[in-house]
Amino acid sequence: MSKNIIVNGKFGDEGFLLGNEAIVRGALESGIDIYTYYPGTPSSEVGETFTDIYKETGMKWVECSINEKVAIEVAGAAYARGATAMVGMKNVGLNVASDPLFALATTRPNNKNSAMVILVADDPQQYSSAVEMDSRNYLKLFKIPALEPSNPQECLDFTKEAFKISRKLKLPVLLRTVTMVSHARSNVIIGEIKQSKIEEDFDLPKEVNVALRIFFLDMKENHIYNRMKEALEMSENSTLNRVENEDAINEFKLGIITSGVSYTYVLEALRFLELNVPLLKIGFINPIPVKKITSFLETYDQVFIIEENDTFLETQILAIAQMNKLKVIIHGKDPFSYSKKNSLLPFVGELNPTLVALALIKITNLKPKVDINEINEKKYNIMERKPIMCAGCPHRTTGYALQKAVKKIKSKTGKNIYFYQDIGCYTLLALPPFSFANVKYCMGSSIALAQGVARTSESLNIAIIGDGTFFHSGIPALLNGIYNKTPILVLILDNGWIGMTGQQPHPGSDTRYYKEGNLKKSIDLEQFLRGTGANVAAIKHYENIDERYTSNLKNLIFEKGVDIAENKNLHVILIKDECIQKIVKRQPIIIRYVDTELCNNCGICYSQFLCPAIDERDNSAFIDSNLCLGCGICEEICPNNAINMEDVL
Amino acid sequence: MTFDNYTIVITGLGGQGLIRLLQILGNALVNQGYKVITSETHGLSQRGGKVTCFLRFGNKLKAPIPMIGSADMIIALEESSIIDVLKYAKIDKTTKLIISTYENHNIGKEYPSLDYLLKILYENSDYIYFIPTMEMAVKHTNNLKTMNIVILGYILRFLPLKHSIIEESIKQNFSGEALEMNLNAFNEAFNL
Repeated sequence: MSKNIIVNGKFGDEGFLLGNEAIVRGALESGIDIYTYYPGTPSSEVGETFTDIYKETGMKWVECSINEKVAIEVAGAAYARGATAMVGMKNVGLNVASDPLFALATTRPNNKNSAMVILVADDPQQYSSAVEMDSRNYLKLFKIPALEPSNPQECLDFTKEAFKISRKLKLPVLLRTVTMVSHARSNVIIGEIKQSKIEEDFDLPKEVNVALRIFFLDMKENHIYNRMKEALEMSENSTLNRVENEDAINEFKLGIITSGVSYTYVLEALRFLELNVPLLKIGFINPIPVKKITSFLETYDQVFIIEENDTFLETQILAIAQMNKLKVIIHGKDPFSYSKKNSLLPFVGELNPTLVALALIKITNLKPKVDINEINEKKYNIMERKPIMCAGCPHRTTGYALQKAVKKIKSKTGKNIYFYQDIGCYTLLALPPFSFANVKYCMGSSIALAQGVARTSESLNIAIIGDGTFFHSGIPALLNGIYNKTPILVLILDNGWIGMTGQQPHPGSDTRYYKEGNLKKSIDLEQFLRGTGANVAAIKHYENIDERYTSNLKNLIFEKGVDIAENKNLHVILIKDECIQKIVKRQPIIIRYVDTELCNNCGICYSQFLCPAIDERDNSAFIDSNLCLGCGICEEICPNNAINMEDVL
Repeated sequence: MTFDNYTIVITGLGGQGLIRLLQILGNALVNQGYKVITSETHGLSQRGGKVTCFLRFGNKLKAPIPMIGSADMIIALEESSIIDVLKYAKIDKTTKLIISTYENHNIGKEYPSLDYLLKILYENSDYIYFIPTMEMAVKHTNNLKTMNIVILGYILRFLPLKHSIIEESIKQNFSGEALEMNLNAFNEAFNL
């Protein structure tokens, strides 16, 4: 539906686009040559949309890279040599990509066509992330320009602006979004698609080409500071930084400075309070427009700075006020309070219009028509539902078998057993009833964490990692364990895809049936593992029903676990069982039913195996056909053969 | 009824087709000339967890999240889920509560009683509509995955949308057998 307008839409057409889709169109209107990415919510749809359309657009290349570091290097080299390039990732992805980005910022392409945008989608409220982090803090470190859109239309406009700035300054420009911008969908008026003016020559200035360490200080001076000075001029004159509602008069002589999605919350809160306040909206967030801010601060008695998460703007604005010896009262979170109690707005979690309105009420003592405090105070028996692995997830079976194997290993060896989790769907095995988690850090860390404890205790340590995460950054840690002969058990839960973010491909994916088709070569993970010389066992669950699979897997884990405990070997078990969400895209779902005559309500399927599609109704297991994805594992594990494909009712 | 600014809160479970519902409805409103903004949550929340989305239309609405106490309509695709979003109901009790009678008991605690549910619903609204989505989906399509479209068919009576425009929007979202099934569910609920 959106694809048609993104590829074929004409100047002035209106679409109903996701922020992420608008970014794609903005890049096409900037003559993009190459897009590389590693999927991560809320940034993934940009890469998926590019993958879908790029052959119809004249772009040179789109790839789902192995990780963010490689993605930024591929796009960065293309930029350095003359391409219009873009790379996309989520908040924590920027941590992975940060190392090459330092060098990239000092690269000064000679080619006129060179431009590079780095999309980073933050996830306030941690809807889908291992941490909540405010990527804006990186801007001070990298010293690169950055823009922040507040809605889907701005996603398109700001993407184009980011390419323009980068093309002019020859610096990579960061485009920062958050979940409520990337995943907002709204009316978007589109512009005209541009073809790239890329040329064949590779003409990089000598000094960065050689990249000798000795030149770095010069490059830092010339390429970073001097160009950032130019960027500051651009920021001062940019319409992305603008005063709105300038003639508004309020009795408090109050003005507001805000940016990004917080701007929309401010508009909503002001409408609710029927309050007229002049706003300085900052879209060009690095470097911030110092003169514009100074003159705004000079105009009002009080200024309220409204931003989500960290005090990126506030800290700088406090400095501007001090440098100009301004008497204005600045309201905000107070960067030095570190406390919820003293702060007008929270440091942690997402903002929303209600929080902004409550803060404005505190400053102004206004009495709104609707008492929002009263609504907030109503307490109900809330039905919070924790995220769980999908109905039909093959690796719920892995968790189930592992739980049984661990009990047996414990009773045979008497060892304490600890689990190290990684980033992916299987992280959810950390929640009850499985509770397989002692430590979890970031992408690819489980295998090394297990080694640290194995080297300093007599316990048995089990790393649980998915195939996508293993390719992303688990490989070095495994090689480290093999070459140091550290006795750990590594379970690779291979579902064939980067599951959690929407089943994008990784180097081990079999893409034959999907849009990636035969474009990609699949790297055989089992062969790869055997090539390391490690003790590798592989087990595969085929699509047909196999009643012995769970106990085979349990026995395999038991056997290897005991060998590690007794003989200090390292073992890898590769558990191959494809993501159900991918299977249901290529074959019909065969929903299971419970034969209530045969079911004795033992509860194995709903309370031990914990399939979310099964619960207890009228003293029998009940399969919810709205949620069942037809994996058939319940049929395998039911001791009474009460679960079948046929509806017996 | 004015449609200058209209806010709908939609809640339910991941996998129930909330985002699809949001897209069909939003797209139809755009085609009818409205300014629309919706917010979606993806990723973790897909996995059986609770999902809450917002759809807002009208010229004055810019934020993807509404104020509490400001929704014109709240839709729950799973009965108990309505409890979590009652803070968006207006204090003058004019918010329409559209509740699917479909229940999912996998919460890890006792499912709320109907008495409790009715008590707090009446505290919050004078316009409560229970829709037997499960029965309707089974009866007319023999498939529970159409429950979201049953809701869509029902709420159309409250919205300034032409039947033909929303039908067109459904056609852009489904094809083949699924399209026929969903159109069927939609029309049965529309005529309810």
